[in-house]
Amino acid sequence: MAAQAPAATQARARPRAGREPWLDWMVLPTLVVMAVVVGYPIVYTILLSVEDYNLLDFSPANFIGADNYTKLFSDPIFWQSLRNTAVYTFGSVGISALLGLALALLMENLGGARFRAIRALLLTPWAVPFVVVAFLFRYMYLQNGGVINALLLSSGLASAPVPWLNSASLALPAVMVANIWAMAPFFFLLLSAALSAIPNEVIESARVDRAGTWGMIWHIKLPFLRNPLLISSLLMVISNFNDFAKIWAMTQGGPGYSTSTLVVYVYRLAFENFEFGYASAIGVIWLMMLMVFAWFYMRALRMERR
Amino acid sequence: MSSPVQPPSARRFSPGRIAQWVAIGFALFWSLAPIYWMLSTSFKTELEATRLVPTLWPEAPTVANYVGLAGTSLPFVAFFVNTVVSCLVTAVVCVVIATPAAYALSRARFRLAGTVGYSILAFRMLPMVVVLAPLYLLLLNARLLDSGTGLVVGFTTFGLPFAVWMMKSFVDAVPIEIEEAARVDGYPRWQILLKVVVPLILPGILTTATFVFMEAWNNLVYPLTFITTMDKQTLPAALVLTFTGQFKTDWGGMMAAATITTLPLMIAFFAVQRSMVRGLTSGAVAGA
Repeated sequence: MAAQAPAATQARARPRAGREPWLDWMVLPTLVVMAVVVGYPIVYTILLSVEDYNLLDFSPANFIGADNYTKLFSDPIFWQSLRNTAVYTFGSVGISALLGLALALLMENLGGARFRAIRALLLTPWAVPFVVVAFLFRYMYLQNGGVINALLLSSGLASAPVPWLNSASLALPAVMVANIWAMAPFFFLLLSAALSAIPNEVIESARVDRAGTWGMIWHIKLPFLRNPLLISSLLMVISNFNDFAKIWAMTQGGPGYSTSTLVVYVYRLAFENFEFGYASAIGVIWLMMLMVFAWFYMRALRMERR
Repeated sequence: MSSPVQPPSARRFSPGRIAQWVAIGFALFWSLAPIYWMLSTSFKTELEATRLVPTLWPEAPTVANYVGLAGTSLPFVAFFVNTVVSCLVTAVVCVVIATPAAYALSRARFRLAGTVGYSILAFRMLPMVVVLAPLYLLLLNARLLDSGTGLVVGFTTFGLPFAVWMMKSFVDAVPIEIEEAARVDGYPRWQILLKVVVPLILPGILTTATFVFMEAWNNLVYPLTFITTMDKQTLPAALVLTFTGQFKTDWGGMMAAATITTLPLMIAFFAVQRSMVRGLTSGAVAGA
C-alpha cells in the first residue's frame, strides 16, 4: 500500500499521460473475453429467468414473465437456503477474522526466523485445496471411527458418538468449523502485515504515555487495522457466498436441506432437475444481493485508496 | 502478552509470556493436527483407517495406498495431468491477457479507466453459479463441453478479473520515471511494457499466476458440470465422484489421493508466500 501511493500521485499529476491509443487497445482483450465469458452469460441468465426452460423438456421454452420470481417467494427451501447462506457466510467470516486477529496480535512481538517458521506452519491450512479440506473433516467427523468422536468418547466428554454431519442441527456448524480452519490463516496473514505497517513512532509515543497492553491494542492498533479488516472481511463474505466445494464435498447440502446454501440449491435445481429457468431466477435475485456487498466493498476500497 | 518492542530476553519466563506460548502451541496444534491426520491415515491400511479406536501412528506403515492410486481402474495419473494442465493454461492465459490491461489501467487516465477498472472488479464478485447455467449452454453450443478448453474458459471467468486487479497493484508500484527514457525515444507503449515494465514486475506476474492457478485448482463446480467423461476429469472433482464408489470405505486410499491433490498447491503456495503479502495487502485483491 505504502509503496504504490507515491506512484499513484505521480501518475495523477502528469496530465500528458492522458489519452493514448495504445493504452486503450491494451484493455480490449480483457474486455472482449469478459464480455463473452461473463457478460453474455449474465444477460442470458436474466432472459432464462423469465422462461420455463427445462433442459430435459424438449418442447420450446415459453415466456412466463415473473412466474419464476413469484414461485421463489413461496418456496420454503429458497428461504432456508438464504438463511443457511447468511449463517454460513457471516458466522465463518466473523469467527475467522477474530481468530486471525487474535493470532496476529499474539505473534506480533516475535521476530526473525522463529516468527517466519511459525507463520509458515500456521498458514498451511490455507494451502489445502477446498475439496481436501472437506474430505479430511468428513473423515475426522465420522460417527464410527472418526478421530473427533474417538477423542470425545475416550476423554468422557461424550457418552455416545456424535453424528456430526448426519444431524440436521449439527451439520452446518460442523461444516463451518472446517471452513474456519481453512480461512482463518488468510486473516492472520493479512492482519500480521497490517500490524507491521503501523508506524513505529505511533507505538513509541503510546508507550511513552504508558498505554497498557489492552489499551494499546484497543486505542492504537485496532484503529489502524480497521480498514484492512473491513476490506478482507467483505472479500471473504463475497467468496463465501460462492463457496460450493466444501459444502458439496462434505454434505451435498444435506441432511435434507440443512446445509444447502444458495449456491448448492441453484446447483441442485439446475444440474439435478435441469430447471434452468427457475435456477436463473434465484441467480438474478442473488446477483442483486451480492452487488450490494460489492458496492460496499468498492466504497471501502476507494476510501482506502484515498 | 508482553509489549511488542520489548527485547524478547527481558521477561522470558513471565506468566504473560508463558500464556503466549501456550496459545501459540494451541494454534499450531489446531492448524497442523488435521494435516498430520491426513498424512498419517494415507499410510494406513484400509482396515486400520476405519478402526473404531484410531491409531495415532500407522501400525504397519504402507505405501500401498499411493501405489494403488496409479494402478486402479481409475485413471488417477490422467486426473493429475488434467488438473495441472488446465490450471496452468488458465494461469498463463489470464496473465497474458491481464498484463496489458493492468498496465493500461494503472498508467492511463482515459475517461473510462475508473469505470472499466471497477466493472472488471465487479465481474470478479459475481456468484459463479449464476453464470453456470448460461455458460453450460454456451459451451454446449460451441461444442466445448467435456473438454479441457471448456474448463479453461470456465476458470477464466474468475481468474481474469482477479489477475487484472492484482497485477495493477504491482504495476502501480513501478515508478513512472523508469519508463521516461524509453518514452522520449519514441518507443510505442507495448514495447515499453514488454521491455521495461514486465521484467520489473516479474515477481508480481508469478505471484498472480500462482493465485489464479490455486483458485482454479480449488474449483469444483466447473469440472463437475462441464466434464462428463471420467478420463477428462480433474482431481478435486474426481475425489468427489469416486467417493461414491471406490473410496466409500477406503479412507486410507482417499487420504493418499487427498495428499497428492494437496501437494502441488502447497508447493505453489510456499513458493510465492513472500510476495503474496504485498499483492494481498494492496487491498484491491479478490482471492484465495
